[in-house]
Amino acid sequence: MDDLRENGSEQDVVIRTRIHLTRNLRDIPFPSKMNRTDRLTLVHKAMDAVEENKALSHILRYMDMGSLSKTEAVSLVERYLVSAEFISDCEGRGVFITDDESMSIMVNEEDHIHIQSSLWGLNLENAYQKADILDDLLNRSLHFAFDKDLGYLTQNPVKLGTGMRASLILHLPALRGSGGIVRISSNLSKLGLSLRGVFETGEDSKGAVYQLSNQVTFGISEQEAIANLKSIATQLIHQERALWEELAEKPEIQDTVSRSLAILQSAKMMAYDEFLQLASNVRFGISVGLIGDIRSDQLNRLIIAMQPATLTLRSGKKLTQNERRILRANQVRDLLYK
Amino acid sequence: MLCESCGKNPVTTHVKTIINGKLTEYLLCAECAQRLGYGNLLTELGCNYGSLLGEFFGEAERTDSVRCQCCGSSFNDIVRSGKVGCAECYHTFYDRLIPLIQRIHGDTNHRGKVPGGSMLRKPPQEQLSLMRRELREAIRTENFEQAANLRDRIKELEGGNSHG
Ligand SMILES: [Zn+2]
Ligand SMILES: [Zn+2]
Repeated sequence: MDDLRENGSEQDVVIRTRIHLTRNLRDIPFPSKMNRTDRLTLVHKAMDAVEENKALSHILRYMDMGSLSKTEAVSLVERYLVSAEFISDCEGRGVFITDDESMSIMVNEEDHIHIQSSLWGLNLENAYQKADILDDLLNRSLHFAFDKDLGYLTQNPVKLGTGMRASLILHLPALRGSGGIVRISSNLSKLGLSLRGVFETGEDSKGAVYQLSNQVTFGISEQEAIANLKSIATQLIHQERALWEELAEKPEIQDTVSRSLAILQSAKMMAYDEFLQLASNVRFGISVGLIGDIRSDQLNRLIIAMQPATLTLRSGKKLTQNERRILRANQVRDLLYK
Repeated sequence: MLCESCGKNPVTTHVKTIINGKLTEYLLCAECAQRLGYGNLLTELGCNYGSLLGEFFGEAERTDSVRCQCCGSSFNDIVRSGKVGCAECYHTFYDRLIPLIQRIHGDTNHRGKVPGGSMLRKPPQEQLSLMRRELREAIRTENFEQAANLRDRIKELEGGNSHG
């Protein structure tokens, strides 16, 4: 049985919870002033810190970004283990990852150390606690740069303070359909929060998947920032759900949901964008009770796993675009066909 | 002392720069400093291209002799790039950075975690259960020194509770 702590709540709307902690070391210049030697020095310090502590070395495995293939690197981004910026320059950069991929540590990102912990559903307190413990363990040997008035010291003074960014990945199909996202996101920015599309192309956010995160790190504790984010998220969840009942009764919506499921269950080739839109429709159908025999969490995992680089990587082969589309359709069918 | 570049004029400018990761110091006369581009740091400050710090410091410092011992940054470097060079810079330029930080963040202080101190701010029960988890992990991974350490701290806390 799964550890209950690992399973968050509100999974009909909240896909994933992520906590980031930004840290720097005292005796090495910040990244914009680092040369290759500094980067290597930092990587070695981080490796030593992990090796010295069995609680860490037992669960973390290191990957040197410079020796990864393009597919491997992009897949790390798709699985939210590293940032897109991180793979733009892989030289002298590395990442530690736990086997269950719930925690990672980027070394030499925009700041020296980026600790990340993520869990399914709405699970801010537990995700924070995991990152917090990891931070404490690393701090024992890395002694992060800190000032009692300024907090954790960062390259960019705007990010001083807790260095904590908490994010929720939300599925908001009804709010998106109602056209309310733009208004909500401009109101949220006044409250020090940001809401933006995850699979964004221009104005459009594919699959109605959004990221809600705190922007303020200074003059506020981690617990306050998390409580603040949670209360806003709760309001968004209520607003989203409030639209569901009416939508679920519309024949057009029922038709879209049924057709989407039918395509996922029978297509022979599928592009990721198409998959994402269909999965979003089906996920909505599950949430409002139109579809009963598939679970949201199955779709959540597929949304990650069906991305091009991750799909290719796990196939163990080089795939052409057509081969990828065939494989994607096969895997989706296998999982959803009853 | 004479300029290291021309060997003629007296030294007026100490220039520290990082070459191949090594901090190097040059002693230059005013003329050579200008010729070699080090004068630009002072003259370019009026126009700061989109750098956040630059916007806050339209009127930049005219004296730029202090450089961070660790990374070699001057305060003007920080203003120009919008990026602090290293942790030590915050110490070196504290008095000059504070007004800027207040303009970004308001007149307030850090209220969050203190390194290694997260456990201290948790209620005792939660703190104990965390430490017991750490202890189990330490035993499981045969990290006995750490385990013994944790066991002592748990005993201390439990003792403290029963008497308090
Ligand atoms: Zn000279
Ligand atoms: Zn410095």
